[in-house]
This record gives sequence, C-alpha cells and structure tokens, in this order.
Amino acid sequence: MKTKTISKISVRQICFIMLAYTVVGKLLSYPTMLSYFCERDLLVPALIDFLIEGIIVWSIAFLCSRTDKTFFGLLEGTFGNVFARIIYGLFAVLFLFAVLLPICEQELYVHTIFYDTVPSLVVFMPFFVFAIYAGSKRFENIGRCADLCLPIFVITMFVIFIMSFGEAQWDNLLPILKTPADKIFFMAAGSIFRYVEPCWLLMFMGRFKYKKGDAAKITISYAAGAIIVLLFLATFYGIYGGLASSRTFAVSRTSLYFSAIETIGRVDLIMLYVLETVMVFALVLNVQLAVYCIAKCSGWDNRAVISLIVNVALAVVLITCGGFYNEIYKLYMNWLWIFFVIFTVLVPCLAWALKRRQR
Amino acid sequence: MKKKWNYTRASVVIYWLIFLVLLGLFFTNDFGLVDIHKTAIITAVGIDVAEEEVQVTAEVAVPQPSQNGENIKYALVQGSGITIADALNEINAKTGFFPKLQFCRLILMGESCREKELFGLLACFYRKDFSELTALVAACEGKASDMLALKSETSDMTSDAIRKILSDEIEKSANGTPMSLKDIAVTQYSKSAACYMPFVEVNEPGTSENGGNGDNVGGEGGNQGESQDGSGSSQGGSSGSQSGSQGGEGGGSGGGSGSQDKAMEFTARRTAIYSNGMFTGILDDQQSFALAAIRNNIRLAVLQCDTKDVHYTLGLKNVNCGVDLKVNAGAPELTLKFKAKARINGAKKRLVPEQIIFDDVVPEEVLSAAEAALEKRFNDLFDTLKEKDCDLVGIREQLYKYENKYFDAFKDDILSRMQIKYEIEVNSAN
Amino acid sequence: MVTLEKNIKSVKDVLTSEDILVFEFKSDNGKRFAAIFADGIVDKTQIGELVVKPLRYAEKDADFEAVKLLLASPELKEGNKKKDAIKEILNGNAVVFIDGEKDFLIAGVKSPPMRAVAEPPTQVAVHGPREGFIEDIKINLGLIRKRIKTEQLQVKTIFVGDKSDTAISIVYIDGVCPEGLPEKIEKEIMENKIDIVPDSSYISQFMTRKPRSLFKRCGTAEKPDVFCAKVCEGRVGIVVDGSPICLTVPYMLVEDFQSVEDYYINSYRSTTLRVLRVLAILLGIFLPALYISAQLFKIQIIPFQLLLKISSSVAGLPLSPSIEMFLTLFVLEVLNEASIRMPKYVGLALSVVGALVLGDTAVKAGIISTPAIIIIAFSAICLYTVPNNIESTTTLRWMYLIIAGSAGPFGMVLLSAYLICYLVSEQSYGVPLVAPFAPLVRSDLYDSFIKANMYTLDTRPKAFKVKEKVRLTKNENENDK
Repeated sequence: MKTKTISKISVRQICFIMLAYTVVGKLLSYPTMLSYFCERDLLVPALIDFLIEGIIVWSIAFLCSRTDKTFFGLLEGTFGNVFARIIYGLFAVLFLFAVLLPICEQELYVHTIFYDTVPSLVVFMPFFVFAIYAGSKRFENIGRCADLCLPIFVITMFVIFIMSFGEAQWDNLLPILKTPADKIFFMAAGSIFRYVEPCWLLMFMGRFKYKKGDAAKITISYAAGAIIVLLFLATFYGIYGGLASSRTFAVSRTSLYFSAIETIGRVDLIMLYVLETVMVFALVLNVQLAVYCIAKCSGWDNRAVISLIVNVALAVVLITCGGFYNEIYKLYMNWLWIFFVIFTVLVPCLAWALKRRQR
Repeated sequence: MKKKWNYTRASVVIYWLIFLVLLGLFFTNDFGLVDIHKTAIITAVGIDVAEEEVQVTAEVAVPQPSQNGENIKYALVQGSGITIADALNEINAKTGFFPKLQFCRLILMGESCREKELFGLLACFYRKDFSELTALVAACEGKASDMLALKSETSDMTSDAIRKILSDEIEKSANGTPMSLKDIAVTQYSKSAACYMPFVEVNEPGTSENGGNGDNVGGEGGNQGESQDGSGSSQGGSSGSQSGSQGGEGGGSGGGSGSQDKAMEFTARRTAIYSNGMFTGILDDQQSFALAAIRNNIRLAVLQCDTKDVHYTLGLKNVNCGVDLKVNAGAPELTLKFKAKARINGAKKRLVPEQIIFDDVVPEEVLSAAEAALEKRFNDLFDTLKEKDCDLVGIREQLYKYENKYFDAFKDDILSRMQIKYEIEVNSAN
Repeated sequence: MVTLEKNIKSVKDVLTSEDILVFEFKSDNGKRFAAIFADGIVDKTQIGELVVKPLRYAEKDADFEAVKLLLASPELKEGNKKKDAIKEILNGNAVVFIDGEKDFLIAGVKSPPMRAVAEPPTQVAVHGPREGFIEDIKINLGLIRKRIKTEQLQVKTIFVGDKSDTAISIVYIDGVCPEGLPEKIEKEIMENKIDIVPDSSYISQFMTRKPRSLFKRCGTAEKPDVFCAKVCEGRVGIVVDGSPICLTVPYMLVEDFQSVEDYYINSYRSTTLRVLRVLAILLGIFLPALYISAQLFKIQIIPFQLLLKISSSVAGLPLSPSIEMFLTLFVLEVLNEASIRMPKYVGLALSVVGALVLGDTAVKAGIISTPAIIIIAFSAICLYTVPNNIESTTTLRWMYLIIAGSAGPFGMVLLSAYLICYLVSEQSYGVPLVAPFAPLVRSDLYDSFIKANMYTLDTRPKAFKVKEKVRLTKNENENDK
C-alpha cells in the first residue's frame, strides 16, 4: 500500500516566516492608515496588535509542545471529522479574506512603483499565474521558500533602513498617547486582518518536530518582526511627520532622501523590487494555506485544481472590485474585524481546550 | 475507460502558451506604454500666476542623436490652466511628449505666486507619485518663466545653475536655505504651520547687485528668443531659449536691462517665508544665515564681524546650534545655543608676514565681536518672525512635543510671549 | 573435433567487415593458432610480443591449459561463446583460437587511438594540478586511482548502448557515499535502452526525472583532482568511456560557483572570487532585462545624468528599446555560436566582422545604441565567469529579457519568485538543488558562496547525509606550528 508522507516544515523555517512575512505584509498602506487615524501615536495600535497576537503565537507554539497532532487532528479528535472540516472551511475563508485586501494594495503598489505611467490591470494578472503554481505546493516548499526569502528580506530591509535613518526626526513621534483611545482601539481592531500569523502557526501545527525551546524561538522571531515593523513605522513618521498620512506605500517613500541617490540613482527601487519577491511569497502563503484548508475541508487533494479555482476567484474579485479599494478597506475596518478577531484570537485560545494526546 | 489527465503534458502546453503570450507582448509591447522615446524629461518647472490661471514653464531636456556621450538641448515649453496639472496637460497637447515630473529637480515660483496659498498651488506635486518630493523649491524675483530662460555661466541648463546655488554645500555653509517639496510640507503641516524657501535672485556677472526685479529679467525674450512654430513649444540651443509666446510675455512685462544672450549669475542668499501657506516676507541674508544655523547642520560658515577698527571674516566650524523651549513658572523661555570654533579667514588690515602666525589664535576681542554679530543676526531673525507671526524655527512644534500641557494656552501668542536667551559661544579654533 | 578454420569462420561470418583481421600462425612444433582482432584499435606489437612469440614454443599436442600458461599477457581471459569473442574483438582485444580447442583466449591488447593527458580548456587553473580527463576510460580510472589509494574506492562498470556498448564506471567510496546511491544510479542508467552513448551528457539526461528542466541534475568534472575531491565528499562519480567529462551526483547548484582553484588559494581570495561570480551572474542575467525594463516602464531607475546620456544615444533609433536589445543579444548569440564552430583562421576575421562591422557600423548607422552594446557585452562576459552553468544562465537571460520587455519589472519579480519556488522543490538524488540555502544547512554554508579555511571545513557536506562525516581531524597542537 502506498503510504502518504506528511509534508514537513522545520522550526527554523517557521521562525523565518514569522520574521520576514510578518513584516513585509505591513509596509505598504498600513503605516499610512495608522498615520491617518493615530498620527503621532501610530505605534500604539500596532503595538497592541503585536502584543495580543504575540501572546497567541506563543500559546500556539507552546501548545505544539503538548501534542504532535495537527490542528485538524485535534479538532477531529475532539469534535469529529465533519466539524473539523467545517472549521477548516472557515479558515479557508479567513485566509482568502486575509489575502484579498493585501492583493488590492499590492496591485496599486505595483502599478505605482513598478511603472511610471498608468498600466492596465493586465500587468498584475501574472501574479495569479504564479499564485496558481505556488498555491499547489506543499508545506515543505513553503518552508524552503522562506529559507531563501529571509536573506533577501534581511539585505533589502537593511539597505532600506540605512538609507532612511538619516532623514528621520524621531521627535516627530512626540508627544505620545495624545490620540483618543477610541481611535487607537478602532485602528487596532480594524487592522487585525493583517495579523493572521497565529492562524499560520495553527496550520503548521503537527508539521514540525517540536524540540525544547522552540516555542521561545518562534515567539522571539515574531517579536523581532514586530520590532522591525515598529521601527519602520517610527522611521516613516519621523521622515514625513504630518505629511505621513498622504504618503501611501510607505516602504517606497522612506529611502528617497538618501544623499547618494543623486549620484547612484534609485538603488532603493532595486531594493524594493527585490523585496517585492518576499512580499509575493508572503501573499501567496495565505493562498497556499487557503488551498490546504479547502483540500482538507473537501477531502479532495488535487491542489493544482483547487489553487486554480481559488486564484481565478481572487482575480475575478480583483477585476470587479479592485476599483473600490476604499470601500473594501472600510468593510474590513468596520465589520470584518470581528471575523478576524474570532479566528486569530479566540479560536487559537480555544485550541487549548481540544483533546490532545500527551507527548 | 476514463483517460487520466496528463499534468506534465498540460504544464508544457501552459508554459508554451505563457511564453507565446509574452513573446507577443514583447514584440508588440504596448500596455499604453510611455517609453524613453515618448517621454519629456522635465528637469525644472517655473510657476507663475496670471489672474486665475497658473502658467507652468517646463524646462525640458530634448536628447539629440549622439553616438558618443551626451547631447542634450533644453527647451522651454509653456502651458497654462487652472491647476498645474491642467497646465501640464496643455504642454502634453502642444508637444506630444508625456510630461513626467519624476526628474523635475527644481520648482521655481515666480513673484506672482505670492498672492496665492502656497499649497493650493503645489498640491498636485503631493498627489500620488506625480513627482518625487525630493525636488527643490525656490521663490524667485520676477517671473519664473523669465528666470528659467536666462543663460548661465555655470551650466548649460539654467535649472542646473540654480540648483548649484541650492546645493547641500550651500546648506552646510549657511549661504542659503534650500528646501525640498517634502521639507516645506513637513514644516507647514507641523504645529508651527510655517515654511520657508530660498529666494533666487539674478545678478549681472561681476557685480553683487541684483539684476533687477522680474520685469527686467529676460524682458527682451520676445525679440531675441528663437521664434518657434505655432505649437508654442520651443527648442533652443544647448542653453535653452525662450518660446515665442513666452518671450512675448517677457517682453511685455520687461524692458529692463536683463538680457537673454548675456550669461547671468544666480544667488539665493535671501529667504522667502510663509505662514499658513501665505507669503509673509523675505528674510535678508543675515537673517537667512541665522535661520540656516538653527534649522540646518552647518559644517563651515563664514561670518563677518567688526572690531573697533578692523573688519574680520571668520570661518566657523564645528557649529552646533539649536533652540530649546522650556516653560518655567508658566513663562515660556527659548534658549538659543550656538557653539562654534572660529579661525580668521581674512581681515581688512595690512598683512604683516611675521604676525600671520598669530592669526591662528583668534583674539578675544574678535571672538566677542563675532558673538555680538551672531546675536544680532539671531535677534533680527526673531524680531522679524515675531512681527510676521511666522514660526519658522518650530517653536509651536516644540511646545506641542515637549511642553504639551501648555500648548493650548500658548499656541496663539507663543512667539511674542516667549523670552529668548542667547548662549552663544565662539572659541578660537586653535 | 573443432578445427581452427571452423572457429575462424564462425567469427568471420558475423564480423564480415574487412578491418577485422585474422592472423594465423604456427608454433615451432607445428601447433596452429589464429588471432582475430580489429585493425586500428589493437597494439599489433603487443600481439607479437605477448601472444605470437610465447606461442612459438607450444608443443604440437599442447592442450588449452598448456597454451594458456605460455601466454605472458597480464590481461588474459578465457571464453567459449561466439558472442563473447565478437564483443571482445570489437572492444579492441585479440581473440586467440587454438587448433582443436573450442575455448579461446582473450588477450588484452587494446590500444585505441587517444590523445595525451592534458589540461582541459574549460577548467584551467593557475594553481593546482593540470591533468585532465581524456576520452579513454581506463586512463581516466587510472588518474582517479592515482589520487585515491584506499581499499574503499569502488569501481563498478556497466555497459550501455545497444550499438556502442559503452563502458560506464560508477566510482564511489564505500562507507562515505550515501548507502544505496550507487545502486540507484546504476538502476536509473540501465533503465534506459539507447543505441549509442557518445558522451557523458547522454547519461546525465538519464539521471533526471525532469528531462525538460532548465537546470541540470549532475555535476561535471573535467579534472581528476576535482572529481576525486567530489567523490571524497560523498558523491558518486560516473566515468563514461569516450568522454573527457565525468559526472558527479548528487549535484547542488552552488557547485558551479566553486572553481577548481578556490581550494588551492587563500580562503579570503576564494571567497572574494565566489562573491564576484555570484554578482557577475546576477548582473549578466538581470542587466539587459533591467535596462529595457527601465527604458520602457520605469525610467526613474536610471540615474539622471546617465539618463541624459542614454536618451541621447537612443534618440532617433528606429527600434523600440526591447527590440533593440533583442537584436543585440541575438547578434551576440550568433557571433558566439559561429566563433566556436569556425576554423581558427576564420575566427579572427569573424571577430573583426563582429566587433567592427556589426557593432561599430550599427551604432554609426543609428540602428543600435552604444549602451545596448555595452550592456550586452558586459552581460556576456559576466555569464562566462561560471562556464559550467552557461546553458542555464544564457537561457535565463533570454527569459528575463522577454519578460522584462513584455511585463516589466513586476514580471521579473514574478519570474524570480517562480524560479525560487521551482528550485526549492527540485532535488538531485535526495539532495535539494539549492542546498545549503534551502533547506538551510549552516555548516555547509562555509563552502558555498563563501569559502572558509580548511579547518572550518572539517566535515563532509551534511546535505549528502554521508556515513563518514569527519574528513579532517584537527591537529591539537595547531598553535605550536
């Protein structure tokens, strides 16, 4: 009988994902929106989100030390196969929602930063061709891609930071905590759709061999990612101050003022293009996990076809709704945050209540 | 029997299809692209206001075929409209170029812009990627279009010659107060709501006098500029020339001593200041020096001072200058700290070779004179700022950041209410 | 009783070609023999010295064993099947029939035409050994044996090719090489039935499960020192008769960035050179694509002063930037191909025609711009810093060029992402192609794009999962040296 091997991912690769993919998903519109709503206190809602999700990440990582089952296995063992499938179906929806707005952002970013003129929507469509291919890949591939993405991420972010620091006036962030609390919490809740890292970790559960200290490693990686994001937010606001809320695609705006740009040209653009590779993988991770969840939910393991269907659906949504970016954003901030809070905070906490075999 | 789907074969077909599509796009290559052949490389923009219209004069680099090296001619193309974007659209309609401002490195604002709200005029530059915010902004005397039409000794490209007097080196020597689009917006949108930009003037070569106001700058363009076809665009020689229409306008308002054929010199030692986006005045060169010392990092500045009977020119290095606002017992107090090391660059006295060695140590009386000269400059600056209620130094911003609880109480009259304390210390470099 | 004539006839009936010679001779006592061999690939002097001369003393009634004892050949085998006799004759050995005997003797007197051992042109080294493999498998195995003198060295020879019957030796070090790997390789090679194996590249294609892949799955070695070093690291070497290029598996992409000399020079210098190679390859692949992408889609990438120069150069060109670059690259590829194939004396004329006529005149005529030529020339030079991968890198350059001209910089990003996604899934005999980067094997990084000193590289690459891990034991008194 042919035995099915479980696609594995290593703890190191999970750490890389928690570090690099966490950061790149928050460098485009997020800083601008934070500046718009919270101005000088833009770090506070981000910090709140990172703290909450950091604790959840740690709890899931710690849960992995208590069981070697996958999350599906835990659900199945407690509530039965049908329930587990339903939950995975909902997770698939979550990942699709988690990727939809970032794809819209990415499309605008690509059109603005990669092209001088206004190219047609077609230019972005090859993304879905790649996503179909990558979406059908398994966890082993996800992990190995992260292995290659981390050095790319580290080098590009290092260069971008080096080019940005000189222009930043850090005291632009003063005074702190002057923004009304309701705005801060509104922003913290409204941005939760960018914080699906705990759900990634839930999907990785049981796919790696837990060793002592791994929970700490994963949490520290996530914290390192959080520090990079916060540092970037501070740099961005330090450079633009009150103008920050009008500067979209923050990552492309900070390194412009480096003195050597005049002579060596827009090296920062090259760095952004390279960093875009990591951004693409970070986006595709959600697609890959959505495909995985659908495969689990439906019991149909033909991932190539599932990936095709998922990506065609995403492309259709982008084509039809891409022009309503602001409306979609409002929908996410006003309504969908509840759905995300349930799945990124409550469900991972409830995972502790599931029956697990003692290791 | 159901035939099994052959994924390998399918993937090969898909790869070939993608390849063919890409190949087709490669050779037809049209997403409505505006490639290097169809783009106007706008290097500088001059903005003038005429009644309710904005006139935009773009200095466009027109590449000429060349096998070895650069062969660029610069043309001035003009368009007008209610907004700058309208004017640029007109330029596009006239020339067929797609006017991109990605390489626009200088925005020159004519005297006529003083009547308008600054950010109402410049708004389009801040819109999504219309232009990089690294472009320098300067106000100029007369019409910006006339200024761009002048020839310069220092560069083929007029805007380049102007940029030279707005360089980092000028900033570091306190001889000017260069500002980029980003800088003026950041200061304007701070709590201080004030900004400044260098004021570009034109001089006859060999004089330190200003060439005159805008009316005499390039005034004869209508006669001397190379007349162009009806499109209104112009392509001059390597140094650029005035379009027919533009020259006409210049001629209309001109008639002074300025000449387009004669290479002129540019300076930007004075500073135009704005409060809440409205023009409020011009700082003289000494006040501009003081402003530059406070706002910029000065590496090596030159300061003139007089002792009882000798005029000295000092070189100041290791300059450390800043303002610190504190509210003590409900009274705001601004402390201006200035610290520098000085050496004698020149003195208006007979040179005695044996005594030159003693110049290394700057005499105490000269240092005191330098401190007095500096204090006067700073004092003048603050007097003007108080008078105009223009918070260029960022007092309100400091109040908001560091003494936030007093912000609401003092924000309206902080400039007049605050006490200024000077801590100026100039030491001999040796 | 089997007569000599009958034996000769049975062979000649099959080997009818005229270059199959039959030499009949008698001993002093009248015993009759016949040596059958293929003209041109045997050493006739050796037949005389090792076969004919000793057999002169054979008794009239000497039996097979007595005759065998007389022969002085160190390479002597017995046979009794016609099929074997034919195979040996075609392999270049002489088959000796004895009158009255059914069995025959095979004397190893093979001497096919071959060149001398020389330095291979593509792996020239200033430092280190200069010997290179040649087309003869025995010489090549000799060169290997000369360097690895351990009882653990195993050479397993198989024959592939219905018509060519090419000898292929699988070389490995027992105990070092991953278990079961040689057998797996043998199985994969033997699974393919082919008529002729003219070169090792045929075998390398048998050893990939994805023959359409752009990336190879076998490493190559043209020098015995490189081959032996790789075999000692735990790889399996494959030596193919008739090919001066030997194969090694498992293969990692990073191998091609390692030059022979890296191991013979200072590690700082070799690290610098490796980084340089990586940068050169990246530039060689991306530069033409980035150039047209910048001209078509994002002019801002080009520094302002350079932009003015480029726009002067391209002003008035009749071709769009993408087609201009396509044509320039096309001309380069044609020149490259022609200069390799052309006789040397025409090659000089060709370079004149290529450089002056096509290059200079095209620029002067305003058909192609100077920057395009500079970029393509630079790209070509860059790619030749890693000659072993030239097939992949030149193809990648075309791919990036086409995607840059059609989909712009975002297309380039997506192609890169696709390549990453593809490469990380690929493996060569269980070793990931992009190891030690993905999956990350930290200790192996010291001999990847950087090259650490010898003491740091004290273990064999972990990616191979070798049995004997340590390859260098540090001298405890290292500091006393």
